[in-house]
Amino acid sequence: MVDFEYGSAPGELPEVRCMVARELFTGRLIRLWEDQLSGLPQPPFKIDHHSLFVAYLASAELGCFEVLEWSPPQRILDLYVEFKRLTSGRQVPAGRGLLGALAYFGIASMEAAEKNGMRELALRGGSYSGEEKVALLDYCQTDVDSLAKLLPAMESHIDLPRALLRGRYMVAVARMESAGVPIDLETFKRIQDHWDDIKLSVVRELDAGRGIYEGTSFRTQRFADYLHRAGIAWPLLESGQPALDDKTFKDMAAMHPHEIGPIRELRYALSSLRLNSLAVGSDGRNRCMLSPFMSRTGRNQPSNAKFIFGPAVWLRSLIKPDEGCAIAYIDYEQQEFALAAALSGDEAMMNAYRSGDPYLAFARQAGAVPPDATKQSHKSEREQFKVCALAVQYGMGAEALAVKLGVSKWRGRHLLELHRETYPRYWQWSDAVEARAVLTGKLTSTFGWQVHAVAGANPRSLRNFPLQANGAEMLRLACCLATERGIKVCAPVHDAVLVEAPSGDIDRVVAETQAVMTEASELVVPGFPLRTDYEVVRWPDRYRDPRGQTMWNCVMGVINKIGLPAGQEGHGADMHPVGCANANPVHSIISY
Amino acid sequence: MSKVKNDKDAAQGIPGVINDSADQSGTTVHPDPFSNLEGLRLSQDHLEAVGLKKQLMTVPVRKPSKEWFVRVHPDSDYRLETAVVELKEEGEIYLVDRSLWPELASESTFHYKAFFTAISRPGNVPFLWPVRMPGEDGKLDSWNESATEIATSIATKEWTRCVSNRYLGAYEPQIASASESWGEPQWPDMPFNELLRLAFKNAFINTVDHPVLRRLRGEE
Repeated sequence: MVDFEYGSAPGELPEVRCMVARELFTGRLIRLWEDQLSGLPQPPFKIDHHSLFVAYLASAELGCFEVLEWSPPQRILDLYVEFKRLTSGRQVPAGRGLLGALAYFGIASMEAAEKNGMRELALRGGSYSGEEKVALLDYCQTDVDSLAKLLPAMESHIDLPRALLRGRYMVAVARMESAGVPIDLETFKRIQDHWDDIKLSVVRELDAGRGIYEGTSFRTQRFADYLHRAGIAWPLLESGQPALDDKTFKDMAAMHPHEIGPIRELRYALSSLRLNSLAVGSDGRNRCMLSPFMSRTGRNQPSNAKFIFGPAVWLRSLIKPDEGCAIAYIDYEQQEFALAAALSGDEAMMNAYRSGDPYLAFARQAGAVPPDATKQSHKSEREQFKVCALAVQYGMGAEALAVKLGVSKWRGRHLLELHRETYPRYWQWSDAVEARAVLTGKLTSTFGWQVHAVAGANPRSLRNFPLQANGAEMLRLACCLATERGIKVCAPVHDAVLVEAPSGDIDRVVAETQAVMTEASELVVPGFPLRTDYEVVRWPDRYRDPRGQTMWNCVMGVINKIGLPAGQEGHGADMHPVGCANANPVHSIISY
Repeated sequence: MSKVKNDKDAAQGIPGVINDSADQSGTTVHPDPFSNLEGLRLSQDHLEAVGLKKQLMTVPVRKPSKEWFVRVHPDSDYRLETAVVELKEEGEIYLVDRSLWPELASESTFHYKAFFTAISRPGNVPFLWPVRMPGEDGKLDSWNESATEIATSIATKEWTRCVSNRYLGAYEPQIASASESWGEPQWPDMPFNELLRLAFKNAFINTVDHPVLRRLRGEE
């Protein structure tokens, strides 16, 4: 049973304060302050495969291992992960922190206020008096003692071999959290320092020709007028007003990237973006908790504000490899489609994936395009079948699909019918997923992640669970294999990883990462390897996402305009002449 | 990956380590849970797990919709030539027991029909497609003649729409250009007599006192 106390400034590596460990069977207790820990070449307890390392949210403890340059334990049981798994899909009265887990099992614990006070002491940093050290060590020991009480209470709920696999992932998480994503710190600081000026100018630039904003205020009527002028059909609320939630903007931006994409970026930037929350350390690395297993499907769920891969896609252009280095974004191609095919055993769907372009293959199989159709010759048909194939996996209805595609309701219904008729086995399987959830009260993924189907559970979410949860399993395995084989993974991103290496090594690292991703895919769906795609960015270039490119160019243009140096922009590739509202997106490293 | 210091048991003799009792030495050899990850896989065959099978409860008796493409079961065991009482106003059709045929021969709603087992696209709905057969005089109108031709010769092999042509006075087959890629239909796993039972479960006339016949005779 192990617990660390540490401080962690945003974006920085943890500063270890102390550690307490207790061997459960022998009762051996270890209490060490930071100066004692840093002198140890290895942890003062066994970490081999005969010993079980037990912690609560072990990635934090393993992050301290990283800082201390200790080897990770070989067998890890993370009671946070197992408690999350046990209660996934259910309401937990006192939350999923250690105190919440103790309360769930009726185990007495310290008051939350007391715990918060001690956490603040750990975060404070600086020098600690002898009394403070003892107090922190005592507090740390209470957490360890709590683990010793929690473990027997949870024991019957733990599926050990698979729990150990989840524990293994926490090592990968610690390594990825420690590595972080390289950020162009200088440009970030300039944007941060002048954000108020930039905002006003960016609104003027991006709103030019649209007339949606009054100052920095979004005006709904003006937006409706713009939509009318631009000939864009927009989902309406019952009140007749345009729907303005971010989900609608996201869907519509995908359909109208040039017209709506920049407006979505702008709205997010003005209303929700907290630049100061982006966790960038003094070494220019974006580091934050990846929040493993946080979502019901077991996916990571890092903070939108702290993580560079949050919703503000234009900010991703801040990602820039260090000098002499390169990064590569490697993603599974059509991961959810492939999983739907392989898990359901629908041969037609599997053949569509194997064809290399499942969306065009779907259109061909449905007879909507001729056998010799290509991506170029039938672009719009392919797009419709692509959206339909993706929509099906999220349980979208005909009307929503029609809105998403900007087609008639009849066409939306027809596309869904074509999917049902082309992939009948998938639909039988999907029906069975929902039935199983209802009959047994839960669903379980390949390596044991589960969700409870409580009364009122959304059937669409239940049907989607195997695709998401197994996608998450796949990426977790890939992250384990990659980090264990020495690949520097900066971050997992839904169905992708961002890796980093010296420029001269990047091609080899990409090939190795692709190999482990394929290996991971075959562990989840044997005999059906998933393809991966990649893009490499070498210093001095930067990462680009086409969805945010107009906004990024505009911000850079504004920085120029208001006389601020634009930073080391590498061949001037990011600079765009002022008046960038209609800038064409540059080549992307994300396909969507 | 971070550099790792040399591995050794670092706990020996350092302050802060309280040895309450003897260190536990490895006495049990635990199997490596990661050596066979395939062995940890849990089945995702939800179909097998729940044994889910759709139960066919209803078999419509109807002409194909103008919008449908249909396939007709090629097996002659999935067809029936019989006689019915058809109430067009009500949109109802009743199967008539063979023993009553002579007695109903002069009844204007009494007809000889062929029933073809068919399936629709969209929807994959199995249904019985009724097509009128020649009467006592051996004559058949061009609508039913063309429908019979489509059902027996074309829709058994291709996804076909039955398109009415008023000028021709007959149905014309329209074969789906995607017929090949749509593949073969999924026929219900059920014998024809069971399909027939579902189709006519409440519509079988086997006595002259059947309410429909009484009504047609003006007795009620």
